[in-house]
Amino acid sequence: MTLRSPLGRVLNHGAAHGGVSHWIVERVTALALAPLAIWLLVTLLALPVLDHATLSIWVATGWNPVWLALLVLLASWHSWLGVQMVVEDYVHGLTKTLTLLVSTCVHALLALSGVYAILHIVFAGTA
Amino acid sequence: MVQLALPPNARIDKSAGKHYPAPSGARRVRTFRIYRFDPASGQRPRIDRYDLDMEQCGPMVLDALLKIKNEVDATLSLRRSCREGICGSCAMNINGVNTLACTRACEDLGGGDVSIYPLPHMPVVKDLVTDLTTFYAQYAAIKPWLQTRTPAPPDRERLQSKHEQQRIDRPSACILCACCSTSCPSYWWNSERYLGPAALLAAYRWIVDSRDEALGERLDALEDPFRLYRCHTIMNCAEACPKDLNPARAIGAIKQMLADRQH
Ligand code: SF4
Ligand code: SF4
Ligand code: FES
Repeated sequence: MTLRSPLGRVLNHGAAHGGVSHWIVERVTALALAPLAIWLLVTLLALPVLDHATLSIWVATGWNPVWLALLVLLASWHSWLGVQMVVEDYVHGLTKTLTLLVSTCVHALLALSGVYAILHIVFAGTA
Repeated sequence: MVQLALPPNARIDKSAGKHYPAPSGARRVRTFRIYRFDPASGQRPRIDRYDLDMEQCGPMVLDALLKIKNEVDATLSLRRSCREGICGSCAMNINGVNTLACTRACEDLGGGDVSIYPLPHMPVVKDLVTDLTTFYAQYAAIKPWLQTRTPAPPDRERLQSKHEQQRIDRPSACILCACCSTSCPSYWWNSERYLGPAALLAAYRWIVDSRDEALGERLDALEDPFRLYRCHTIMNCAEACPKDLNPARAIGAIKQMLADRQH
């Protein structure tokens, strides 16, 4: 039960002055991911076989590790933003804050381990 | 927390509906299945079935509802005023679509029964009458009036070119019926914090008004992850609008303006 006026409830804390960069980055990462995803698909399909040895060499060849790392980072970033949107839509209160925290950790872990794996293959050979 | 189960008074009591048969001699019978709920009664909502003789009934869904109220069951509650699609008070959910009862012809609903529910996801006052207090407060929150610092010319009104007038022509036609906002999933899940398509279309109407001098402040007030950015361009709003307006496109234009002023 609240006796606060409806307008007071709706105006609440005012505008957070955020959301614009989230909106822009969501779109920019999506745009950048499209050609990268096509590149990944096309080059993978061009390989003669898809076994461990061939893939390890492919990862370490030329600019491949750079594009791959970019793909991993952009995909994690895009997914992090997307998951945040979905969580903010459906989850409320403290559970929301905790879910967002977990999602951030998971995405950071994904991005870092992806880049680490690429570097490992490039500099130390296959794992 | 995510809410998975509906509260008891949001679940329809299937065993409780009443049936009102058509008068004998009725020739073209059509059944109207109408949501009935009185929160004060302590009972769960039910669906009552009213069989009407369409030969003896006006063409619009509102005509059928008023026939029921006047001749069959006076306890049915609904809102209406103009009966010509301009006051916005008869908005309800007819056969799964939010629309105005006074401009929806029964003929256009195909064959079969007609199901009538209140606007989705709003508190029900009684039967088809929903509580739109928050919806109206959201409209008030966007400051729907001309804001200027330049005094008006002493001898005439503030001028606008024909082209400038055309930009506010369509959005000004909104009748605040709430069909759009109550069909928007983003509004359902965050109706307190997301302003909803109707209020955002109204904000847009003042944002593109060439006479207004508060564009910056208006954009500032919308620059919020919840007030504006809950819109995911699902387009239900444009689909639902009985005046053929497109709030989704207006919201997209506002987002574009907010992005443009960053760079
Ligand atoms: S386009 Fe935006 S406002 Fe319209 S229904 Fe979808 S989410 Fe809601
Ligand atoms: S935009 Fe259309 S559906 Fe929404 S309130 Fe206005 S008239 Fe009704
Ligand atoms: S009664 Fe006025 S819009 Fe339907």
